[in-house]
Amino acid sequence: MGASTLLLTGNIDTIAQMSCNPAIGGQAKGQMVREIDALGGEMAVNADVTAIQFRLLNESKGAAVQSPRAQCDKKAYQFRLKHTLELQANLQVFQATVTGLIFKESKVIGCHTNLDIDFIGQTVIVTTGTFLRGLMHIGQNKNEGGRLGDFSAKSLSASFLEAGIKLERLKTGTPPRLSGRSIDFSKMVEQKGDANPTFFAFYDTREESPLFHVEQTGERRLGWAPGTEQVSCWMTHTSPETAKIVRSNLSKSAMYSGEIQGVGPRYCPSIEDKFVRFADKPRHLLFLEPEGRSTNEYYVNGLSTSLPFDVQVDMVRSVPGLEHALLLRPAYAVEYDFAHPTQLFPTLESKKVENLFFAGQINGTSGYEEAAGQGLVAGVNAVNKMRGTPPMLLRRHEGYLGVLIDDLVTKGTNEPYRMFTSRAEHRLLFNHGSAELRLIEHSKAHGLLSPARIRNIEAKREQITYWIEFLETNRTKNGSWADHIRREQHEKAALPEAFIRESSAVRDEVLYRVRYQGYLAREQRQIAKFADIEKIRLSPTLDYLSIRGLRRESALKLAEAKPMTLAQASRISGVNPADISILMVMLSSKDKQGD
Amino acid sequence: MPRFTDTIAALATARGTSAIALIRVSGPEAARVTGAIFGLVPPARRATHADYRDLAGATIDDALFTFFPAAGSYTGEDAVEISCHGNPFIVQKVLEDLFARGCRAAQPGEFTQRAFLNGRMDLSQAEAVADLIHARSDRALAAANQLLRGGLGRRIQDLTDRLLGILAQIEAQIDFPEEDLPAEDRESARKAITRLLADTNRLLATSHYGELLREGIRTVIVGAPNAGKSSLLNRLVGHERAIVSEEPGTTRDFIEERIMAGPHGLRLVDTAGLNPTPGAVEKLGVEKSHAQMAGADLILLVVELGAPLPDLPESAWSRFKPSRTLLVVNKCDLSRPQLDYSLPEGIPMVQVSAKTGLGIETLVEQMIIMAGQIQTIDSEDFTVINARHADALSHAMAGLNAAASQLAANGHSELVASDLRGTLAAYGEIVGRIDNEQMLDQLFAKFCIGK
Ligand SMILES: Cc1cc2nc3c(=O)[nH]c(=O)nc-3n(C[C@H](O)[C@H](O)[C@H](O)COP(=O)(O)OP(=O)(O)OC[C@H]3O[C@@H](n4cnc5c(N)ncnc54)[C@H](O)[C@@H]3O)c2cc1C
Ligand SMILES: Nc1nc2c(ncn2[C@@H]2O[C@H](COP(=O)(O)OP(=O)(O)O)[C@@H](O)[C@H]2O)c(=O)[nH]1
Ligand SMILES: [Mg+2]
Repeated sequence: MGASTLLLTGNIDTIAQMSCNPAIGGQAKGQMVREIDALGGEMAVNADVTAIQFRLLNESKGAAVQSPRAQCDKKAYQFRLKHTLELQANLQVFQATVTGLIFKESKVIGCHTNLDIDFIGQTVIVTTGTFLRGLMHIGQNKNEGGRLGDFSAKSLSASFLEAGIKLERLKTGTPPRLSGRSIDFSKMVEQKGDANPTFFAFYDTREESPLFHVEQTGERRLGWAPGTEQVSCWMTHTSPETAKIVRSNLSKSAMYSGEIQGVGPRYCPSIEDKFVRFADKPRHLLFLEPEGRSTNEYYVNGLSTSLPFDVQVDMVRSVPGLEHALLLRPAYAVEYDFAHPTQLFPTLESKKVENLFFAGQINGTSGYEEAAGQGLVAGVNAVNKMRGTPPMLLRRHEGYLGVLIDDLVTKGTNEPYRMFTSRAEHRLLFNHGSAELRLIEHSKAHGLLSPARIRNIEAKREQITYWIEFLETNRTKNGSWADHIRREQHEKAALPEAFIRESSAVRDEVLYRVRYQGYLAREQRQIAKFADIEKIRLSPTLDYLSIRGLRRESALKLAEAKPMTLAQASRISGVNPADISILMVMLSSKDKQGD
Repeated sequence: MPRFTDTIAALATARGTSAIALIRVSGPEAARVTGAIFGLVPPARRATHADYRDLAGATIDDALFTFFPAAGSYTGEDAVEISCHGNPFIVQKVLEDLFARGCRAAQPGEFTQRAFLNGRMDLSQAEAVADLIHARSDRALAAANQLLRGGLGRRIQDLTDRLLGILAQIEAQIDFPEEDLPAEDRESARKAITRLLADTNRLLATSHYGELLREGIRTVIVGAPNAGKSSLLNRLVGHERAIVSEEPGTTRDFIEERIMAGPHGLRLVDTAGLNPTPGAVEKLGVEKSHAQMAGADLILLVVELGAPLPDLPESAWSRFKPSRTLLVVNKCDLSRPQLDYSLPEGIPMVQVSAKTGLGIETLVEQMIIMAGQIQTIDSEDFTVINARHADALSHAMAGLNAAASQLAANGHSELVASDLRGTLAAYGEIVGRIDNEQMLDQLFAKFCIGK
């Protein structure tokens, strides 16, 4: 977009450092990474290039819920992205800790730093992750910091409170890291990567080299290439002994002793939680995942805990294959401040403080992909705000990013929010291959992709339309090609020669739409039902309490939520269809008055 | 200015004793739907008489309809008004058919709202429109709540919980493929869906209000053998249906006939007779008669002129509640002395002759009054809500059916889930929107998820 941007970080060397497991993608998140790529984000290419293992999840459950996932080289991922930022035009990176915001009236105009250097800007985006008053727990041991070995941003919270922004505590955790040398892999089950990896980025529409591993440029040499072995993960499980150790030490766990106030995610329970809440489950699966090619550090997926270090050691060593394991870093839980995302517009701008945007874990989410998606949206909208151009509003039926932002700003969250495919009512439209096609209007409107790539996407879209039409109207034996494809359950259906020669991106999308035609049409009908009210914009300054006929409790909720469209208003809990009808009537009577 | 893409339908007249019901349809599909129903291109602004045929091709009623092109209609969009008989059964059928054809149930005040938004009313009326929407929605809400407080709400809640359980299993497999979950059990999912389907169907079929509307008011004719019950039924129906015999106790199985009493649909049930000392064969029939009485909405107690009331055990008399019992003294063409009956106070008495038709009109009038009292649910909203519920339940069943066949045909889980979500939304239309969080709650409670 070409806006002059400053990136302030407490530590340049930890840009894009993955606090937890260095895995990108997976359920719903894999689709999000492709959406990020479709909107010009860096995450997809960065993951492709630095991945050490690729797997496509859910191959048997249907095309819409198939998700690419990659295990990345932690350091390579981080350094490549740092280098990408260094090469980015109009971006300046500077190392300093932000200690407070500078306000003027109800607007933000810049920030103070620990170096006593102030920075002034037209818009400010806050992405403090787990660092706001970050507090780490290992049993009774407490350390300040947003991540092991990192600092804690302590004074910044006061700035938010001063501006009337409500903060609350959340909690997350991470398992121990082990030395690979000390692991007995012979007692574990190997999990290999896919022979034909599914990449995150859309290479078929990029004007540059279509596949990075074919023409390795200097910058990309870090990544996986054909002929290079992918690295395996390993599966093992807890033993009865593990359960005994955990149970008899529960009182020492920071979580169970009441040390931690923050709310943790239900989908990411600590090992304590697992043995307490699912007492009848004899054992729990564990994955050993390599942190990189040039390190022997392993991540123990499934063993997140806040037990004291000595108990952690006993617990780890009770696992088959880990009898002699050496811990490189302990597991810990971290508590941090987050700002309720219902305090934001769908542009991710604060309702309270103009020009102040929030993105990432500070909004109550958890996960790299969720954070990256929000960062992209906040960035685009900060520029639009500054220039007075229309914001980028992603809608629920356009992709997971639309669902993510609508859920956050409309419903809020009480636990670290992670995307699931089941959160998307139009999930069937979100097959990962269609991300570019779904989001192209946004990329176009906000200049997020090069003109050449836009042209390529449009050409791809035309090809797809052409082939669907062709298959629906041309006959083979027993009806049209399309009927034939729908009858054949598997990939067995015979297809026209010219179609087979099409790129696999086009072919897959065409076959998907033909096969799922009935279901997709139903989704479209449901979307059309809301199209009318989706178009009606609501002003944030609308005085709901003065609208006659509106129930008072609805008016209060609307005044608090400040929805941007009538459709968003209709999703606020407690606002009923009659309220929406009344709003519609009163809004249009205002319009008429204005005429 | 908003343009609406959907077509709405609702009953416009208040229900009750009116003989004619007016159903209004408005939106871009109005012309097409009307054409399909009546099998002709609807002439503009001219009341036309034609048979209302439903999607399956069956005639529901002979109706009068008028088509108004957008330019001259109340709402400012294509609209049609359909007048049919004011019988709730017919009204419900028509609404259900309109929904099946793609119309949507209008929200309270929505016609007026559209009229306003389409520029058919001036600004000064906007607030009046808002007030109207407000008032109507309150009334509709009250009616819906009343309905849901009863068994219906509880049963839908139970269905919803079970569905959430099934869905949570499937979603867990989709969203957490790398977890150590119990293996996907499609067969038990399919069985659970089949049970849900049966129960949803039963709910649709047995919900009492639905039955009143669909099946009519159950009117059971009882009395001593030979009192003239079968003759009375025949007289009310207008043709020979029951076997009339001079030998007492001929009617052993029940004969049912549907008749219209004014706006109300009645289901007449003829019984064997209340004989305290029956022979072996009749005994069964008599027991059945008592059972029929227990399930009756309205009882016609028939006695022969000059004959005493049937000799019944004390307990049986408690069934004859004044609000739902009519004493019919038959054979008034004969010259016999009239006896005095000691019946619970308030039970109306009508004298008729099934043979000559004497007094039958008075009897029907009395039945209309009592039927009206039985169907106290006679506000406009009630029918709409009820038709909407039936519509929602049949959508729920469609989703369950589709999911079951996907499972049987080895279809993808994401499609099964999509169908089940359709069902969840349909239940939600009755008990209120069901948030995805509820599914996630079940999912995380049931499975140990997370690494
Ligand atoms: C211990 C732990 C466990 C986790 N476990 C999981 C998990 O199991 N699953 C999962 O999906 N996700 C997990 N996450 C979450 C995931 O790491 C984050 O959601 C994601 O990284 C958030 O991205 P972000 O950009 O919002 O913040 P971060 O990645 O936290 O980045 C914040 C950045 O802001 C900088 N910063 C902060 N405050 C200041 C300041 N005042 N001045 C200057 N710079 C500042 C920091 O230096 C850092 O570079 C975990 C995170 C942690 C810490
Ligand atoms: N005179 C006269 N006879 C009637 C009348 N109604 C029925 N009957 C006769 O009474 C007898 C018994 O009638 P039926 O309808 O079979 O009585 P049920 O046993 O109560 O069903 C038949 O012979 C009828 O013809 C009536 O209104 N007047
Ligand atoms: Mg008889």
